[in-house]
Amino acid sequence: MEQTRHTARDADKGRDASSGDRLVTALLFGASAVSVVCVAGILGFLAWFCLPLLTDPTGGQLASVLSWHWRPMQGQFGILPMAVGSLALAFSSMLLAFPLGLGLCLFAHGLGPERLARPLMALVRLMTSVPTVVYGLASVFLLVPLVRAGFSGSGFSWLASLLILALLVLPTIVLVIDSQLRLAAPAVRLTAAALGLTRAQELVRLTLPLCGRGLKTAAVLGFGRATGDTLIPLMLSGNAAQLPGSLLDPLRTLTAHIALVVATDSQSAAYGSLFACGLILFGASLAVNLGLRSLGRRKMPDAEDADRTLRAAPGAGMERLATALAWTAASVVPAGVCALLGFLLWRGLPTLGLALFFGDTPPLDALLHGAPVFDGLLPASLGTVYLVLLAAGLAIPLGVASGIHLAEFATGRAGRLVSFCVDLLAGVPSILMGLFGFALILLLRRSFWPSANTCLLLSALCLALLVLPYLISATRTCLESLPQDLRLTCASLGLDRWQSVSRVLLPAASQGILGGIILAVGRAAEDTAVILLTGVVVGAGTPGALTDKYEALPFTIYYLAAEHQTPQELDLAFGAALVLLCLTALLFAAARRLQAGLNRRWKTSQGESPATPRISA
Amino acid sequence: MLSIRKRLLLSALSFSLLCAAGPVQAAELDAFAGKSGKIDIAGGTAHIPVMKEAAKRIMQKSPGLRITVAGGGSGVGVQKVGEGLVDIGNTGRALTDAEVAKFGLKSYAFAIDGVAAVVHPKNPVAGLTHAQVQDIFAGKITNWKALGGRDAAIHLYTRDEASGTREVFWEIMLKKGKIAEGANVVASNGAMKSALAGDADGIGYVSIGHIDASIKAPALDGVAPTQDNAKNGKYPVLRKLYMNTKGEPTGVVAAFISYIQGPEGAAITASDGYIPTR
Repeated sequence: MEQTRHTARDADKGRDASSGDRLVTALLFGASAVSVVCVAGILGFLAWFCLPLLTDPTGGQLASVLSWHWRPMQGQFGILPMAVGSLALAFSSMLLAFPLGLGLCLFAHGLGPERLARPLMALVRLMTSVPTVVYGLASVFLLVPLVRAGFSGSGFSWLASLLILALLVLPTIVLVIDSQLRLAAPAVRLTAAALGLTRAQELVRLTLPLCGRGLKTAAVLGFGRATGDTLIPLMLSGNAAQLPGSLLDPLRTLTAHIALVVATDSQSAAYGSLFACGLILFGASLAVNLGLRSLGRRKMPDAEDADRTLRAAPGAGMERLATALAWTAASVVPAGVCALLGFLLWRGLPTLGLALFFGDTPPLDALLHGAPVFDGLLPASLGTVYLVLLAAGLAIPLGVASGIHLAEFATGRAGRLVSFCVDLLAGVPSILMGLFGFALILLLRRSFWPSANTCLLLSALCLALLVLPYLISATRTCLESLPQDLRLTCASLGLDRWQSVSRVLLPAASQGILGGIILAVGRAAEDTAVILLTGVVVGAGTPGALTDKYEALPFTIYYLAAEHQTPQELDLAFGAALVLLCLTALLFAAARRLQAGLNRRWKTSQGESPATPRISA
Repeated sequence: MLSIRKRLLLSALSFSLLCAAGPVQAAELDAFAGKSGKIDIAGGTAHIPVMKEAAKRIMQKSPGLRITVAGGGSGVGVQKVGEGLVDIGNTGRALTDAEVAKFGLKSYAFAIDGVAAVVHPKNPVAGLTHAQVQDIFAGKITNWKALGGRDAAIHLYTRDEASGTREVFWEIMLKKGKIAEGANVVASNGAMKSALAGDADGIGYVSIGHIDASIKAPALDGVAPTQDNAKNGKYPVLRKLYMNTKGEPTGVVAAFISYIQGPEGAAITASDGYIPTR
């Protein structure tokens, strides 16, 4: 089935194009080229700024950067402790998150009671919408004191950040494994029924072994997400530039290191070393990407696979182990998430009210006459809204166009290059986007634009880059998941390629694409690492121009979590966290509804197309 | 107890200063009336409370003006003002000759401030010697018991290298001695304060202006780290707080600097726990 679909689409792609078609193709190709240019640009920037380290004739600078001590006062700029810190944190959090994620999936797919499965998966989906900075805030005031009291040390530690990072990557793992289990289930159902296997036996002996590739994909994706996160280690790991001796010691990751050191003298070796950190992170996401590629395309398992698997099935002890894992995961994860979110509600709910947004300024004055608001969230909320609208305005046309290009027009080597770059861009840690923006401004100022400065527009540009790959993939996936009959209908009506895309395919996929757009908006609203480096400040008032510095909710939360001077300021942080969480949760819920709608409409079962495609032209 | 008394004293002092400045206040803010434009400020984190309060008063009077305040530390202040990314770069230390020469910076001091080692208010240790502080931060003394406290490991907190507070503390208090690499790193005076307020076994250092009831500053060689002792020279770990501009300031930036250095700025500075230079 899969095979025939691709051949049909590829043949369609090769069809002769009219001149109007050619213009459209060129425009769409241009949109796709943006991703390639961006990836090349980021890599080029990192390499360019690392160059002084390599060309230093004595070789001393490079040796200094590739050493084990970060002591800028003594001229030692070793980043190896941070590289090891990043790896250690990502690996350890995966060691925790992967079994838990697998356990949750097993629980939901039959090892736990059925009536608990739905709420459990709903909770996991809710987790995808929790902004990292919100996890960070709740953990600084709940988890860190617990670690301090329960063990030893200051609480800001490898342990604290690994626990929360595990929660952060868990939804990624669960959603990938879940979708694989769903794909594999029909293939084994007959075999299992014929053999009279119990639900647990079927799951552990048949379905799971068929999902090996999916499990690996989940692990690699989770690892990428864990390596690229900035805020959790920055807020929770203590940031000591050393190799941690135990789980209770502080550590510093490459991402946190960039955030801490970025505003240093731009001609110093310390500044150069940041780009070396960036290169390492870029290399990590490249490795993740190549890893995913080597796992190859998903293949739908069939009954024959099921038979083969059964012969190599694990022993009977596995079921008991799997059941134990499922129940452990299903009790530990919800407990952890509910504790953190409950804590947030407990601290945040009492702060909700007009004063949270307007401080001591009369609300009408602020809204109608632009009276400045202090000690309230209005400037930060508006800053976030403007930022997100701007970033979305930049990214949506590009992303959708490029998605269309990849799904319907791109062929051969160019198509493969673009989709590789899109995947790579999706894996670039957000702090690197920020670093790219910051270094770009410095470069512009020194060359032909001396008044360039970090500002709202720059942040929006960098955020647009961040969400661009999500938009491209969402558009592409939605178009590609449309039933083949629809394409055949278009062809039989004599529509050319652009006509079939614009009149039939796009309208048919619009709901799903809209869902992807909303997800991207949610992602832009919660990101903190990008804006940290590109123009967000503590007190700026409501932004008046694109070149202004601005306030934003995620940064306000991050700042107040560490810097609150009074209990009232801390209340403001919890209020802001609750507002941001509600915003992202609503966006994610809306996106899910839309995408579920698309699936219901076109996918009756497992990739088969409905009998009568409705053409909404 | 000490810090509460200090706070009362300071609020009384600032109240009287504010009353005295009452009639002047309007006149000083008049310098900004009808002005528009923007002033971007970044850098030293000890400065933030003063800058924010001044910005609030000025913007309430002249809504056409936008004043943004960011932190980052003294190193950030120098770099950002030097690169021209902000109008005023704050530092909690004097600029080095190299920095002045490289960027053509002008410095404007507005306050004197001390830097003190601080602990959790419930920590029984009431005093430390200079040598003890050095040994604690070098990682040689690792348990509070050795200092007369409870039997618990010492949790070290330090600042990142961009911090002027760190530089002053390191040069004068630690005599450029070692700071243990395992110390937690926090990004500002404010963050140091809230970290220590939550950690019963922690020790770190902050600008004296940031000391309030939520943290405690043990006496250093018998001298309480108060602004009074800083003023009369008994407490040794001192620095000035500076605003720096690239070249001579003009327009609203110049007006802002004179406002901070003027009587109302001095009142704000004093109410935030610093000693105004005027």
